[in-house]
Amino acid sequence: MTTTIATAPTLPASTHQFAEVIHRLEAGGSMLPDTPDNLKQIIGIYKAYAVPMDFYWRDLLYIAEKVFLNPLPAFKYFISKEYLDRQNAYAGDQASLRIWRGPGDAHPELREFMAKGESGRKLPKLLHHLWHDRVNMEFAEACMDAMLWHEDINPTFNAYLYTDEYIANSDRAIRAYFKGNPLMLGLYKLFPEMFLEQVRRLSYYANLGLFWEVMAPVFFEMSDLYDEGKMTTVPEAMDFLVNGIFAIAGRPIYHHVYIGDECYEIIPKSQGFTWLYEAALPYVEAVFYRTAPFRGTKSYNAQAGQVPDDQKDFHYGILYADVFPVGSAGIPPTLLMQDMLHFLPDYLVEEYQQHSRGEDDMLIQLGITFQRSMYNVTSAVIQALRCALLYPLDDPNPEHLKANRAFFEQQIDRFKRPEARLDDIQQQSYR
Amino acid sequence: MPNIVEIAVSTEGFSTLVAAVQAAGLVEALSGEGPLTVFAPTDDAFAKLPPGTVQTLVDNPPQLARILKYHVVAGRWAQSDIAKEESLPSLESSPIPVRVNSAFEVKNATVVAADIEATNGIIHVIDNVILMG
Repeated sequence: MTTTIATAPTLPASTHQFAEVIHRLEAGGSMLPDTPDNLKQIIGIYKAYAVPMDFYWRDLLYIAEKVFLNPLPAFKYFISKEYLDRQNAYAGDQASLRIWRGPGDAHPELREFMAKGESGRKLPKLLHHLWHDRVNMEFAEACMDAMLWHEDINPTFNAYLYTDEYIANSDRAIRAYFKGNPLMLGLYKLFPEMFLEQVRRLSYYANLGLFWEVMAPVFFEMSDLYDEGKMTTVPEAMDFLVNGIFAIAGRPIYHHVYIGDECYEIIPKSQGFTWLYEAALPYVEAVFYRTAPFRGTKSYNAQAGQVPDDQKDFHYGILYADVFPVGSAGIPPTLLMQDMLHFLPDYLVEEYQQHSRGEDDMLIQLGITFQRSMYNVTSAVIQALRCALLYPLDDPNPEHLKANRAFFEQQIDRFKRPEARLDDIQQQSYR
Repeated sequence: MPNIVEIAVSTEGFSTLVAAVQAAGLVEALSGEGPLTVFAPTDDAFAKLPPGTVQTLVDNPPQLARILKYHVVAGRWAQSDIAKEESLPSLESSPIPVRVNSAFEVKNATVVAADIEATNGIIHVIDNVILMG
């Protein structure tokens, strides 16, 4: 589907604060200006993001499906070989819908990093882990927690987690998992809600794992197309994402648990949950827009109104972030930046060395690149929603074009607040 | 008089919808007593969706069924009845916005043929697949 067209002349100019962006969206463009440097930055960072993401989705599913309710999950980040070899549903020869032309098992760069880490030495896995020389799953878990906590954004999925059917499915799995363990079964009898809440959390691990299983091959393919000279503009990059969103929209979101040789369907595929409605859209809202104030980066005084009363007004996502990784361990955005640093393509490393403080502030530069790239992903989501819920950009009916504009303006209204970075990413000097 | 499914099967331009209804296992439900109101997208409407969209849904019948149920409303709603409403509750549970002014519009689709009577309900033919949200 091509959405790049000439601006429809039938509407008067928008008077919105970000009129230029509105007009660009109406012409099939992205919130991110179409410049060669922006394209290079976003594609490079998609590739650097896709490699750790290839670990995130595998480990999220490993935790949801295998680690399950382990009361001492000290080794939950020590993913099994089975999950590293697991074929991505959208890459490799076995994929029914192949998005990435590469292999379906764990990415070679990921395997190499897992073996040697940043230090470049093959040490026991535990040492790499304790030294934090590894992929930082804490970031992935923070994203999952954001989706769990902002429960209002995923009403159908969330409502199911409190149904008798879900509770009965969970009960079967809990009893099977702790079979022969009177202590845990006794605790379950005393505090059933505590266990159920853990299962609900694990259902969100599965949800996010299934979401990212799609995004990793999407980003790998975009990177390959760019390297081959087949992706040449920012709108092309956005359209690739829009088409991907539609192609995968109907993918089932489910939660299966494997105990022994049995599969326990906590959320069966037959429930009808879809990748678009129960994973992608809630993810964007929870992670790109809302999240929560990350402890340790800044102090907030809730009593002075510095934190909104209403969760829907939270604005701590990447689209609003003042990208400043303080380097403190445990702060999720910093951990993601550290993860991406290991897999930057050479052309981005060279670019960062030429700007700002070179290697000294590479984490900040790549964090801002990541912010640009997520404005492009958000643009793809906005265009996909427009396409699904409203009208073509070249619709001949002026009323339909007005409805499109009202939709775009409503979406961009969210970036009027001072923390938003929409204005900044219009400037190439923002690094 | 034929029922909703029989009309769709025997009318040209609904082969994708018929295949989708069969894949989703909804033939029986749409052949039952009803009455039901169906907003039926044409083959051209399905073809407007980006590549892969329909195939992924056909491969996953429960998810496909959910999208199709968004096109169905309980009761027999003729255009003149719908004109008095702003939205109708779909069998999927999400509301479907409707407008009857100079054109008869269902969400972002336009009705190209209205009030096709069936034994178990009524069909309005639409030019877009409508989606929840």
